Amino acid sequence: MNPTSAPPADLPALLARIALRERAAFEPLYRATCAHLLGVAFRILNDRDRAEEVLQEAFMNVWHNAASYRPDVAAPMTWLINIVRNKAIDALRSGKTERASTTALDDEAMAVAGDPALEPQRLLDDGLTKARIDGCMAALNASQRQALALAYYRGMVHTDIALALNAPVGTAKAWVRRGLDKLKDCLVAAGVGA
Amino acid sequence: MNYLKPERLDRLAREYVLGTLTGGARRRFERVLAASPAASLAVGAWQQRFSVLAASVPPMQPREAAWQQLERRLFPAAPKAASGFGAWLSNLLSARSLGGALAGVLLCLAVLRLQPGLVGLQPPSEALPQSYVGLLSDGEGRPAVLASSLRHGRQLSVKLLQPVAVPAGRVAQLWALPRDGGEPFPLGVVPDHGSAVLALPDSSEKLFFNVTRLAVTLEVAPALAGAAPAGPFVLIGPCVKLW
Repeated sequence: MNPTSAPPADLPALLARIALRERAAFEPLYRATCAHLLGVAFRILNDRDRAEEVLQEAFMNVWHNAASYRPDVAAPMTWLINIVRNKAIDALRSGKTERASTTALDDEAMAVAGDPALEPQRLLDDGLTKARIDGCMAALNASQRQALALAYYRGMVHTDIALALNAPVGTAKAWVRRGLDKLKDCLVAAGVGA
Repeated sequence: MNYLKPERLDRLAREYVLGTLTGGARRRFERVLAASPAASLAVGAWQQRFSVLAASVPPMQPREAAWQQLERRLFPAAPKAASGFGAWLSNLLSARSLGGALAGVLLCLAVLRLQPGLVGLQPPSEALPQSYVGLLSDGEGRPAVLASSLRHGRQLSVKLLQPVAVPAGRVAQLWALPRDGGEPFPLGVVPDHGSAVLALPDSSEKLFFNVTRLAVTLEVAPALAGAAPAGPFVLIGPCVKLW
């Protein structure tokens, strides 16, 4: 599995040097990962300014907390994505960003996806295909896949998902739960994250 | 409620990583996470699983201004090219994390010798009383805040070694950072200059036993118990036992 940005940089070594406060290691880490991380933040916030702000906050966090990175627990990119997603989700929920489900996506997101409502599901399908677990995940129906995709890529909570998919909250919760059960089963079967 | 039953832990971990665990439940789980290696492992496993989904997100190149701003925020007034002095300074800074604790203690010793009243006690002998001492520096490594507390005391004395720029509508919140990346916990608000005495919720020994660093963030309101830092650390430094 190869992320789109495919950084040639040795991320674990850069993080180790940053933990020792070596400034020269900081910019290479940023350059190698920023585009992928901004993509993640932008999908959640749908606002380039806010997404870049979150990216900056995340990297400040990285500079100060690189020592807490545990190579035995997570790959560097996984750790970085987690920091960015948490910050983006916090920013989204603190109400600093207007992103009602009715808000049209801006030009850049439109360029990525012809139909904005389908974009999260397309990302999910692409991710599953890349990991070669799309066949296994086919047992999920469209609503279950969409619910999982909206939660992951858009940072939506159960009530948002229920609204977006026009279903009761309990149903939305069950869709997410079923999606997660299946994702774990499929990944374990494929030998990923077992 | 027992968070640590494996099945329950796994369900909480996955909804936490996904982001559908919200509000108070999210904060409570973060506290469990800070204390439980089993919870960390469960969260780590789900982060790994979700990375499959992250792999398909199209990259988006940030504007160059984002990097420049980040650099300014982290390293204010940094020298552009490493001149002789710049190179010397950057060497000093990279050695700082290792030498920091020692330098902090030495400076504290000097300050405490000049001002023993700072820890609220005139020692009967030449020896300094058993205390916890923290020295926070800014992004350029300049000492900014000195914090000290008697080992069994319930007060934290804070002295600003240089004024801290606190924007209107913000407060400078002091945090204790436990060993091994444990969840930071709030200690109180520090003034932007001068000194202050903060009341501690428990004895220093209990609070700081496992704390290796102190840090300051700029928050919109003083942090309540259980809160997590919302902003970046503008000041940070070692916290050591003075005995």
